Amino acid sequence: MKLCAEASVYLEKTIPLSIILYIYTVFVGVMNKSVSALENHPHIWRAREQSQCEERFSLGYDQLDQALNGGVSPSGVVRIRTLTGIGELSLFKQVLSQHRSHKMIVFINPPGRVQTPWLEAFGINAEQVLIVKPHTEKESLWATEQCLKSTACHCVVVWNNAVTAKEARRLQVAATHNDALCLLFTAPNKNSDDVTQTLPISLDLCLHYREHALEINVLKQRQGWPKNNIVIHNKWTVDNRAIKWALEHNKVKRHVLHSVS
Amino acid sequence: MLWAYLYFYQITLDTHQESGLSPVDSAHLEIPSSPVIVYCEKTNHIVQRNHAALQQGIEIGHGLAQAAALCPHVCIIPFNVDNEHLTLTQLAHRLYPLASDIVLDTHNTLAVRLDNLVHYYGGHKALWSTLTHELSQSNVHYHFATAWSIEAAKVLALKGIDRYYDNHDDIRQSLSHCPLSLTALNKKTKEALTRVGIHRVHQLLAMPVHELGRRFDNNTITYLTALRGEVFPRVKLFRPAEHFEHFALLPFDVENTQHLIPFMEKLLEYLAHYLRARNLQTSTLSFHIAFRDQPSNHLEIKSALPQSTSDSWLSLLKLRIENLVLPEPAVSLTLRCDNFEAIDDNNGDFFSNRFNDVAQKQLIGRLNAKLGEKCTFKPSISNTHQFEYMSNGPRLTKETVFSSDIVPTFLFEAPKPLTQSTQVCFGPVRLHSEWWHDAPHKRDYFIAQTRQGVRMLIFKDEASKWWAQGLFS
Repeated sequence: MKLCAEASVYLEKTIPLSIILYIYTVFVGVMNKSVSALENHPHIWRAREQSQCEERFSLGYDQLDQALNGGVSPSGVVRIRTLTGIGELSLFKQVLSQHRSHKMIVFINPPGRVQTPWLEAFGINAEQVLIVKPHTEKESLWATEQCLKSTACHCVVVWNNAVTAKEARRLQVAATHNDALCLLFTAPNKNSDDVTQTLPISLDLCLHYREHALEINVLKQRQGWPKNNIVIHNKWTVDNRAIKWALEHNKVKRHVLHSVS
Repeated sequence: MLWAYLYFYQITLDTHQESGLSPVDSAHLEIPSSPVIVYCEKTNHIVQRNHAALQQGIEIGHGLAQAAALCPHVCIIPFNVDNEHLTLTQLAHRLYPLASDIVLDTHNTLAVRLDNLVHYYGGHKALWSTLTHELSQSNVHYHFATAWSIEAAKVLALKGIDRYYDNHDDIRQSLSHCPLSLTALNKKTKEALTRVGIHRVHQLLAMPVHELGRRFDNNTITYLTALRGEVFPRVKLFRPAEHFEHFALLPFDVENTQHLIPFMEKLLEYLAHYLRARNLQTSTLSFHIAFRDQPSNHLEIKSALPQSTSDSWLSLLKLRIENLVLPEPAVSLTLRCDNFEAIDDNNGDFFSNRFNDVAQKQLIGRLNAKLGEKCTFKPSISNTHQFEYMSNGPRLTKETVFSSDIVPTFLFEAPKPLTQSTQVCFGPVRLHSEWWHDAPHKRDYFIAQTRQGVRMLIFKDEASKWWAQGLFS
């Protein structure tokens, strides 16, 4: 205390009070400025900025919709890490078949020949579908970007395992600017490094099949928290359940013709 | 500076004729127009008359009795300054998207600044034709002139020279011949000038200012400098209202609501144009129906959903007006709309639902150009039950599309031997190939699931070998 008083006396002797005040105000000013610069940074997202009325495409599964704040955003890139054939497309049935039906759905580099009767059963108008089979992964990314930018597409479904952060950013910007959705299917990664690799996209999902149900992990989403272990029982093919059920519940006693009561 | 001055000398008559006959009627039926005059009660003068009235011998400045004597069945419209001013404001609203600086001078004149617009329109000719086109759309008659100041242009326009001058010498030439009576000098000054032998504008302009300043008051000197274009004009520029309001004088007294509808429809069309140009829509409208004696009737129409087209509003209006009884014949209508809503993503953008055929074709063209013709294809279908031929038929048409439960999402190019252990979920479905194929086969199809949950289309051939043929995604 004494030292402080001495110091101030010394300072007063050497530097006029007005200069001290000036230095103080400048210091506070710089601090305020840096804080406000940080506040205005476009990459900082705040929960209060979340627009309440933003439209979402519901997936039709309550638990999943709840975790995703109502569903998938109508524009942007959604990455799905999954094996092919565990109902990963059927998960997006409502999104693909019930919105913007006047626009095209493009399948890029699908893992097989897309079957027209399946498209019809799925609820997609097959006339609005375009299938693209590029030769390389690079070409498929180029085609994806072109489709997103064309404004003619409702959704671009692409299978690609070579998307880097830079390319994902390009796709995300192209999708959001042109009001289109991109579903990016990639193979599930074994490497732990790859699992932690995040892309600047709207939604990152990981699907597993466990114990007769589809388990969904929301790895990352814009304007929301990640959530693991969302379990969904979806039926994406016909099965023999009806026959099994009939066999199991067949409690009717066989009437023997000759039986005499 | 260059100003255009527009003098709408028969604006009441023009609005009357426009509202009375739709362009289709007048073009097809060739109805000979009946004599119409506009009569000012205050001065007991005919102020406007149409061509038919002129043929009957009615001139502007005649009294009502004289006009009635010349032509007993003449149609008389009362002159009203406020109505003319309203019509002029509507004209200014029409011109405002094309010209920024508009000055409403009197009830039937307005001035438009041109020199700052020439640059944007790329020349005087383009600018003037744009403005005159807009005026011709609204079917009004006018005299016009251009000059370096509003005052000078006004003198020329009142003279009715109807010429577009952008050259100072031309303007000076035509201005110098104008009589002094057309200027806005007060009566006393004009008389004083006439007494000393000054009858024309050029004589006045030739006088040195300090000489005039000794004899006349400040207002005269201010006017003269403005006439010379030596001062920057201090005028109140027209600003369009934030709400929409359109006034229509009915050409005859309308007694029942059914006859009101065509006029209301016209107003709704104006509103639709207004909204379309601003990407807006609205959920409430109000009509004011004015009568001669009774207080005006206020009719508010609300819609649950914000709308922008005239058709959607018209259907609501018709329902609303059905059981309305007018207390006396209506004379004028006003449509007013205060609350607008912007059309945004959430309530349906104009363009989001527009089917963009061109964009699709462009996209396919671009993809084909880079990736090759064979890389893009549209789904096709053929009439067969065999999976491998289903999706490689001729082009898809509406009639041939069919759906099936057990068709997989993806089919492999060729069946692969089944190597994984699987569990059957559905089947069997036995399919025979058609007899006309080269190698007929008989297969039992199943849907099977692997341990990882992948559902595949598998089949057992005649040799009891298992194959995987497709995937269900």
